[in-house]
Amino acid sequence: MSQGQTKLSRRNFLFAVGAGGAASAAAIVAKTVPQVQPAATADDKKKTRGYQTSAHIRNYYRTTKV
Amino acid sequence: MNAAPLDSAQPVFEEDQARADVYALIARLFYAGPDAHLLAAVAGAGAIAGSDETTPMAAAWRALGTAAAATDAQAAQEEYDHVFVGTGKAEITPYASHYLAESMQERVLVRLRETLTEMGLAKTGSATEYEDHLSGLCEVMRHLIFFGSGDVAVQKQKSFFLEYLDSWDAVFCAAVMASPNTNFYKHVAVFTKAFLDVERSSFQLI
Repeated sequence: MSQGQTKLSRRNFLFAVGAGGAASAAAIVAKTVPQVQPAATADDKKKTRGYQTSAHIRNYYRTTKV
Repeated sequence: MNAAPLDSAQPVFEEDQARADVYALIARLFYAGPDAHLLAAVAGAGAIAGSDETTPMAAAWRALGTAAAATDAQAAQEEYDHVFVGTGKAEITPYASHYLAESMQERVLVRLRETLTEMGLAKTGSATEYEDHLSGLCEVMRHLIFFGSGDVAVQKQKSFFLEYLDSWDAVFCAAVMASPNTNFYKHVAVFTKAFLDVERSSFQLI
């Protein structure tokens, strides 16, 4: 129960300071980044699954099976 | 060997998605100077809709938007290259090991590479930067956030943040703010610090 309350307070904190509400603002910006270079290929997305890559991330890190 | 699987079944809460987006933006801005498209997007992104619009992060975001609207892309790119790349030694280096190495008495980059290998991450062959670049570290945070908003996932974010971002980010941002050669990037640094301060505080709650 205390863990649940902690999580809740963290969420409340993030919303209160504006980090939670940044979704609409920063997401618009984040979405523009991949347009600078070609979007990730389907193959890239398959490899990384839940990890949405931008051109910049692909240029920087590659998720690999070790 | 098995890489840690990405558990896409874990939901990512709205505020964590927002954090990932902010990390993406910070990573992009410190990886290279912004182009006109990115500046326009920042300028037109609108206010952060927090419950308190007077918070440092909300104020810093407004100021960054205003600065982006008033900044020419070529000037911003030249500013970036001049301050963070330079000819020879950069005026302000965006690499963690520069700030952490002496105090930790350990080779940060070596340890970071081991950590990334455990995560199943590696640098792309085309990237010439070292892994401890601020942008790379922000991208790792973004990657970790997409593991979901569960307790274990958030603890992993906290561990990585405390080990590789905490403390030196403030020194780096202060240097960018104080530099006589920064203009647009002063606002980027103020926003970055405001956001990472939020991160620091939020991780103290768990």
